Amino acid sequence: MKPSVRRVVAPVVGIVAFLILWEAAVEVFDIRRFILLPPSSIIDTLSESPGFYWDNALITIRHVVVGMSMALTLAIVVGSFMAASRFVEEATQPVLVLVLVTPWVAYITSVVLWLGKGDPSIYFMVAFTSFPVFTFGVVGGMKSADPAARELLRSVDARPWEVLWRLRLPSALPSIFTTARFAIGLGLAAAYFSEGSALTSDGLGAIGRRAASFNEAEVLWTTIVCAALLGIAGLTFVSVLERILLKWHVSQRS
Amino acid sequence: MSGPPQRPVADATVRLRSLVVPARIELRDVSKTFGPLDALAPVTFDVADGETVTLLGPSGCGKTTLLRLIAGLETPTTGAIAVNGMTPSEARRHKQIGFIPQSPALLPWRTVEANARLLLDINRSASPTSPSASVTELLDEVGLSDFHHAYPHELSGGMQQRVGLVRAFALDAPILLMDEPFAALDEMTRTDMRHLLGKLAEPLGTTVVFVTHSIPEATFLSDRVAVMSARPGRVTEDITIELAHPRLPDLEDTDDFFHVTTRLRAALSAGMDR
Repeated sequence: MKPSVRRVVAPVVGIVAFLILWEAAVEVFDIRRFILLPPSSIIDTLSESPGFYWDNALITIRHVVVGMSMALTLAIVVGSFMAASRFVEEATQPVLVLVLVTPWVAYITSVVLWLGKGDPSIYFMVAFTSFPVFTFGVVGGMKSADPAARELLRSVDARPWEVLWRLRLPSALPSIFTTARFAIGLGLAAAYFSEGSALTSDGLGAIGRRAASFNEAEVLWTTIVCAALLGIAGLTFVSVLERILLKWHVSQRS
Repeated sequence: MSGPPQRPVADATVRLRSLVVPARIELRDVSKTFGPLDALAPVTFDVADGETVTLLGPSGCGKTTLLRLIAGLETPTTGAIAVNGMTPSEARRHKQIGFIPQSPALLPWRTVEANARLLLDINRSASPTSPSASVTELLDEVGLSDFHHAYPHELSGGMQQRVGLVRAFALDAPILLMDEPFAALDEMTRTDMRHLLGKLAEPLGTTVVFVTHSIPEATFLSDRVAVMSARPGRVTEDITIELAHPRLPDLEDTDDFFHVTTRLRAALSAGMDR
């Protein structure tokens, strides 16, 4: 099989096999509907009102995109200072680790009380969870900039913003893309949980939370699957963008 | 470039220049220590305007340290350095220095042309009126006319180093500091590169300080060779290279060239024994 064909066929075969096993496991082990629905039921629910799920998925996408954009922007600013100064790096690192390891779900109630219900709390939570990951990626990438190139720019007295723009930021792109893959999972989870907790009525998380309260297993599982599909779409988008922007990088060359 | 050797005229020019032209680079008792390590013993020497001086010595003798001191990338522990009458840092700020590091240091996300233009872009952002050297012409001159839009990973080591040369020459800085730029290349490519460097540098009259441990490179490119001892490095001999200009590749097959390389080899060995 040609590599180009294999790259498309193999994942499809894997996913179809997984769905068949899932369907069979629910049937054979007689699993209760609220614990796990067969994929056929989820597909039925989704096909009954695709517009409803699509509209809510768009809201979740907005929450993830805005929150992660805020996190990435802040990570580039903070990361630039950390990469430029050993002192700033050593002072900031413990705080980032603290944010990274603390269970963020515990903060949601306080954040809603602070920022109010709705979008601001959700944006904050998405940004809060993905910020440390992005920052570590930015710092690692910026510090990996070729020392000879750094010296070269120093030799013409390049200004700090020029070193940042022409050398450090492009050098950080590969690790930013790597961390974006982790950040998407974290951001999506944060958006889903926050939508369910931020007293909002829209978004996959809000519908899922409501469905859980009213024992609507089909709706709950459909939102879970939609969120998973969003994650796959997000990762695919990152991979495509990486392929376009990093065509010069060794990871993108065969 | 062709025509008969003009050795007497060239030699007279160099001597005359040393009398009437102020030194571009002056080092007075310059030394450098890194913690407990004496990298460089006090060194005193001058480089005249338009002169090519090679620092020749064994690995680890402080050649690169000395070059970095001249470039203002390190601060001397003792002594003073003047570059065009300024401190190295001031000279850097006034765009007097072009620096060529050991590796080509090409940015992999920029094309060949964009890489060659990099330092020029930086200078222009500092001073928008600074003139634009013809990067395109220089790339053509070094044989990269078909590679303007290629990326560095698509080039051989020698081609990458040519881009590095163009990047430095495009700056049009009066002083070029070169830190073993051909060290990582194979012997054939290295030979081609020194011929190319001679061809680029000679007509411009650029002042060049060149670091190498290759005797043929030092012989072919230099007006003077400062031979350095093992660490802590110091200049053990300052040898004027009495070879005619312009220097063409055929020069390397002559007896004169052979005699100079023998002389440098002996000086290098003597320096290592001291």
